[in-house]
Amino acid sequence: MSGAARSRVGLAVVVAAVALLPALESDFQRGLDSDAVIIALLVLSVVVLTGFVGQISFCQYSFAAIGAFTVGALMDGHGWSFWLALPVGVAAAVLTGVLVGIPALRLSGLLLAVLTIAVALFTDRFLLVTGTWDGFSGGAVPWHPERPSLLGAPLTGSYAYYLFVLAILCAAILVVWNLRTGKTGRVLRAVRDSELAAATVGLDVTAWKLAAFGLSAGLAGLAGALLAVRIGSVSPGSYDFLHSVQLTALATVMGVSTIASAPAAAIGTVFGPELLSGISVSSTWFPLLIGGTLIVQLVLVPEGAVVRTRNDIARLSRLLSARRGRDPAVAGASR
Amino acid sequence: MTALLDIAGVSKRYGGVLALDGVSFRVDRGRIKGLIGPNGAGKTSLFNCVCGVLRVDGGHIRYAGRDLHGLRPHRRARMGIARTFQTLELFRELTVLENLMVPVDARSPRGMLADALRLPRARFEEHRADERARALLHFLGIADVAGVRGGDLPIGIQRRVELGRALALRPTLLLLDEPAAGLDSRETADLAGVLSRIRERFGTTMLLVDHDMSLVMRVCDDIAVLDYGRLIAEGPPERIREDPTVVRAYLGESAA
Repeated sequence: MSGAARSRVGLAVVVAAVALLPALESDFQRGLDSDAVIIALLVLSVVVLTGFVGQISFCQYSFAAIGAFTVGALMDGHGWSFWLALPVGVAAAVLTGVLVGIPALRLSGLLLAVLTIAVALFTDRFLLVTGTWDGFSGGAVPWHPERPSLLGAPLTGSYAYYLFVLAILCAAILVVWNLRTGKTGRVLRAVRDSELAAATVGLDVTAWKLAAFGLSAGLAGLAGALLAVRIGSVSPGSYDFLHSVQLTALATVMGVSTIASAPAAAIGTVFGPELLSGISVSSTWFPLLIGGTLIVQLVLVPEGAVVRTRNDIARLSRLLSARRGRDPAVAGASR
Repeated sequence: MTALLDIAGVSKRYGGVLALDGVSFRVDRGRIKGLIGPNGAGKTSLFNCVCGVLRVDGGHIRYAGRDLHGLRPHRRARMGIARTFQTLELFRELTVLENLMVPVDARSPRGMLADALRLPRARFEEHRADERARALLHFLGIADVAGVRGGDLPIGIQRRVELGRALALRPTLLLLDEPAAGLDSRETADLAGVLSRIRERFGTTMLLVDHDMSLVMRVCDDIAVLDYGRLIAEGPPERIREDPTVVRAYLGESAA
C-alpha cells in the first residue's frame, strides 16, 4: 500500500471510531463530545486566520456569538426554522469578520491583538448586555432555540446531534484542507510571508485578507450556531472574551499551522477540565494549566505540539525506511 | 518606436527630501534600459513609483499609453509590470516551485469556492500553474531546487528565484532592482546571459538598476543616469561611459 493510501485508510478508521464509540457512552458524555466537535470548528477558524495568513484574533467567540444569537433570535424570537436561521447566522458572522478585517488590514501583531480584544469586549460588555439590543441578545430571558430534524430524523437525541455536528466538522475540515493545499493556501501563505511581494505579483492583498477574516468568522459563527442549538439556550456567558483567549492559547500550544491541531485542541479544552476533576483537582485550575503549558511550549516547542510530534514521526519513519533501504545496498556492495 | 514606459516629470518627496525631482525618460518596447546612479540617487524610489508601491507627488507615469495614476500595485502587476527587489522579498516559507506558482494564481480568476470544493477547474488550473512554474525553473536552470523552501537558499539562487517569480507573471515590462547585488563575477556573467535569453525568448522590455557597470554596459541598449533625484544623462553605454557629468557624479568633484 502506498503512503497516501495507508494514511487515507488510517483516517477512515479514526473517523469511524470517533463516530461509533460515543454510541456506548452516556448522554452527558455525548454532550461533552458534541462540545468538543464544536470547539474543533472554532480552533479550525483560528487555524485559517492565524495559521494561514498570520493574523491574530482574540475575538473568535464573539464571531461565534454573532452566529449563536442570530440563530437564537430568529428561531425563538421570530419562529424561523433552524435551516433558514443557520445560513443567516453564518452570513452575519462572515460580515462581522470582514468588518473587523477592514481596520485590521493596517494592523499586525500587538495592535491587531488589541483591536480584536476591543471587539470582544464590545460584544461582551455592550452588544450582548440586557437593554442594549434585546431583539438580538434576548434580554433578561435567554433565547431557547430547539434542535431541528434533518430529513425527517429528529436531532434531539444526544447521539443524533453528535453525529450531525461531527459530519459538519468533517466537511469543514475537508473544505479547509482543500483550500490549504490549493491556490488559496498558497496565496495566503505568500501574503503572510511578504505583503509587498504579494502585491507586486498581482495579488489583491486586501481582498485575500478580508476573505480570510470572513472565512474564519464564518466557521466560528457556524460553531456558535451549533452550540446554541446543542445547549438549547443562548446566553452571553458562553461566548465571552476569556473563552477566546483560552481558544487561541490552546490552538497555539497545539500549533496553529496545522489542521490536526483543531481536534487536538478541542479534546484538550473539553476533556482537560474533566480529567482534572477526575484526579480530584478543581477544574478551575485548568486555565492556569493552559497558561503554564503555553509558556513552556513557546520556549521549547515554538512550532506547536502537534506539528512537532508529526515532524518527529516523519523523521522516524524516514530513518526507518532509510535503514531498510540501505540493507540491500550493503549486500550489493559486499557482493 | 513606441515607448512602453513613459516617465514624465516625476517627483517624489519624503518629508523635506526630494528623492525624485522632475525625472523624465522613456523605455522603448523590447529594449533593455539601464538606470544607474550613486546610492540615494532615487533609483529604487522610481521603481516603487512605477509599480505603485509609492504614490508620485508630481508628474505622470504612462504604461502602454495608459496613465498609471491611482492604480494599486496588484492592478499594475496584472497589466504586465513585474519587478524584483534589491532587498530580497522572496516568499520564504514557500517552496521555490510555489513561489513561481503564486503569480500564475494571481492572474487566474478562480476564487475560494472552486478551491474549497476541488472543482475540475481548480485542478486544471493547479496543474497549469505547476507546469508553467516548472518550465520557467528549467529555463532559468534552477529546476533542481524546486522543492526547497525559498528562505533556505543561498542569496545567488534566491535572486534567480525572484527573477523567475517575476517572469511567471508573463510581464511586458520587467523592473530589475540590483539583480547582481551579492553575486560573484561568474554569477554576474551568468545573469547577463540569462537576461539576454529572457529578451530573446519572451521579448520582455526591461529597466535594470545595478551598480555592476560590467553588467549594465554589457546588456543595456541605453542608459539613464540619476543623481540626487535628477536625470543627469541619458544615452547609449559608450557615450555614458565617457560623459563628464556622469564621471563626476560617480567619482566626486575632485576626480573630474
